[in-house]
Amino acid sequence: MVIAGTLIARGETVRVTIPYYSAATEPYFQKMAAEFKQKNPDIDIKIEIVNWDNLLQKLTTDIAANANADISIIGTRWLVDFQKTEVVEPLDQYMDQAFQGRFIESLFNYAKVGGKVYGLPIAASARALYYNKDLFTKAGLSNGPKTWSDVEEAAKKIKDAGFYGFGLQGKEIETDTYWYYALWSFGGEIVQDCKATFNSDAGVKALSEYKKLIDEGLTQPGVTSYSREDVQNLFKQGRVGTVITAPFLINQLKSDAPDLQYGITAIPSDSGNLSMVVTDTIVMFKNSKVKKAAWKFLDYLFTPEPRITFTKGEGFLPTTKSEGEDTYFTQNERLQVFVKLLSTGKFLPLVSGYDAMSDAVSRALQGVYLGKAQPVEALKQAAQEADAAICK
Amino acid sequence: MKPRSLNLAPYALILPSFALAFFIISYPFLDILLTSSHQVSRFGILLRFNGVENFAKAFADPLFTASLVRTLWWTLFVVSGTILISFPVALILNQEFRGRGVARAIIMLPWAVSLTMSAVVWRWAFNAEYGMVNATLQKLGIISHPIAWLASGELAFPIEIFVGILVSIPFSATVFLGGLSALPGDIYEAAQLEGASVFQQFFHLTLPLMRPFINIAIVLNVIYVFNSFPIIWVLTEGGPADSTQILVTYLYKLAFRLGRIGEAAAVSLVMLLILFVFTFVYLRIQGKEAKA
Repeated sequence: MVIAGTLIARGETVRVTIPYYSAATEPYFQKMAAEFKQKNPDIDIKIEIVNWDNLLQKLTTDIAANANADISIIGTRWLVDFQKTEVVEPLDQYMDQAFQGRFIESLFNYAKVGGKVYGLPIAASARALYYNKDLFTKAGLSNGPKTWSDVEEAAKKIKDAGFYGFGLQGKEIETDTYWYYALWSFGGEIVQDCKATFNSDAGVKALSEYKKLIDEGLTQPGVTSYSREDVQNLFKQGRVGTVITAPFLINQLKSDAPDLQYGITAIPSDSGNLSMVVTDTIVMFKNSKVKKAAWKFLDYLFTPEPRITFTKGEGFLPTTKSEGEDTYFTQNERLQVFVKLLSTGKFLPLVSGYDAMSDAVSRALQGVYLGKAQPVEALKQAAQEADAAICK
Repeated sequence: MKPRSLNLAPYALILPSFALAFFIISYPFLDILLTSSHQVSRFGILLRFNGVENFAKAFADPLFTASLVRTLWWTLFVVSGTILISFPVALILNQEFRGRGVARAIIMLPWAVSLTMSAVVWRWAFNAEYGMVNATLQKLGIISHPIAWLASGELAFPIEIFVGILVSIPFSATVFLGGLSALPGDIYEAAQLEGASVFQQFFHLTLPLMRPFINIAIVLNVIYVFNSFPIIWVLTEGGPADSTQILVTYLYKLAFRLGRIGEAAAVSLVMLLILFVFTFVYLRIQGKEAKA
């Protein structure tokens, strides 16, 4: 018995839940697991790939059944919920100053809750405005839009040329964030001191602006049937002048629409450097029995070589300083736009009940987009629902 | 002594399968019962017993009532549409004609594809920009501009009902075909000799004889359709603004999007109860009518 026990303890297995980002995800993590195993022969890494849409559902059921993995990637917006229910392990005790120094500070600090580190930023993305240069030239414009009135003006001319001006998303995940871009540029905030503030004057202005674009036919018709992918497809097909989205569209355009001429610029605003920064976080679960081994693997993932391979392969932005200095980023003009925006971009608020707020806002927006509700009332109602759900 | 030991044998023989079925059915049922009567954390961990609080919360949500009403419409339209179409389809497929095998295969084909995959195909087909439906209608000159089919609940929900009917036809047609092939031929010959018209034969012979098959098709379809998740989720996720939400998509959203697992369990129990009552009442009424 004793011998068997020690044998099992010597060969530790760390289970890792990873969402499917792209076809490169699984090969990358399998490779990392193999390389790690070479250096640490007594630790086995078991990678479990899950579809993004099912990730939260899988984690929920796994945790409820006490069958969850040891570490997992999660959307950072879920972190507070995980922390509040005490399923994730604080990581401060495992790391020293040098380890923290590897990261881009704003991204690292975003995953802190109550001053403690509960996760490490493993993937970063940002949002910027893509504009179709051919359509802009056709409309007699030479530069990308800087403000919302620029967007409007360009959209009118592009519409007259027979295309859609501004690609507006109104369906499924990120329907709400697509509107936060405008909210921020009008000076509004989503949440302040655990109270929903998106229904401020800035919010009403932002929503009225989108509604005006819809009513004047400056967006594609039927915005509430357009998910993020649908809007991006319009852009790939060269049928829409502008769209706000993430850097991964660069790679997709390279393969799907290699001839499309386009530029990338910040989200319209007075400051000229507005963006939204999104991160995914890798966390360790409190009930893990192999925390030391799990941390070893995390430490390995955040060394320079594995990092740059991951970020390049997935088309993400750097989360550690060494990646940002790689020629892959410094010599790519388009990616540089995004990398620069990382330091000025806004983050989504980290509050518990975020998804309920997101749902309430999306519904309010859809109601207004469809002409079934007015901005002021719709946002007020959504703010009430949000207040009932967040920070609980 | 002898008869008593003989009586035990059948019970002993069905006991293993009964125990297995009992376990498979009762475990999730008990689990849901527990979940629905507890305050539950976002990750499904039971916190404390809270009686009927989850039910009260769910009933107080206007979205629950709206989804319940929409579920009833959804079930009514999809099931009646399915039965009304599959019955004539089965009648035709029961005739002898050239290419009947091919025709049968074509009708059954959608059954071979997973519901989620057919829903994805329909989502593409109804896409406003590059969908097959808009392209076809525009080529035929029926519409001049592409229509954003899934942009509002008023259009999207009927479309979902339409897709629901299409995917339910194979099963119902199969049930009816089975029934039709079991009908005795001699009574039709007798009816023909007596001078009964085709319509008289249908209403006085086929329909009454097919009644048990129609009943089973209705009950099974109601159960499937009432609980059917993929079509609505894939096409609209219950949106825009919850305008196509039915109970099962509502409960998925409650549990896995909003983390209100206790309430979701309560809703699923309510759904089970509704189906149970429906099946019980329907079969009771039908049974009585058949005897009368």
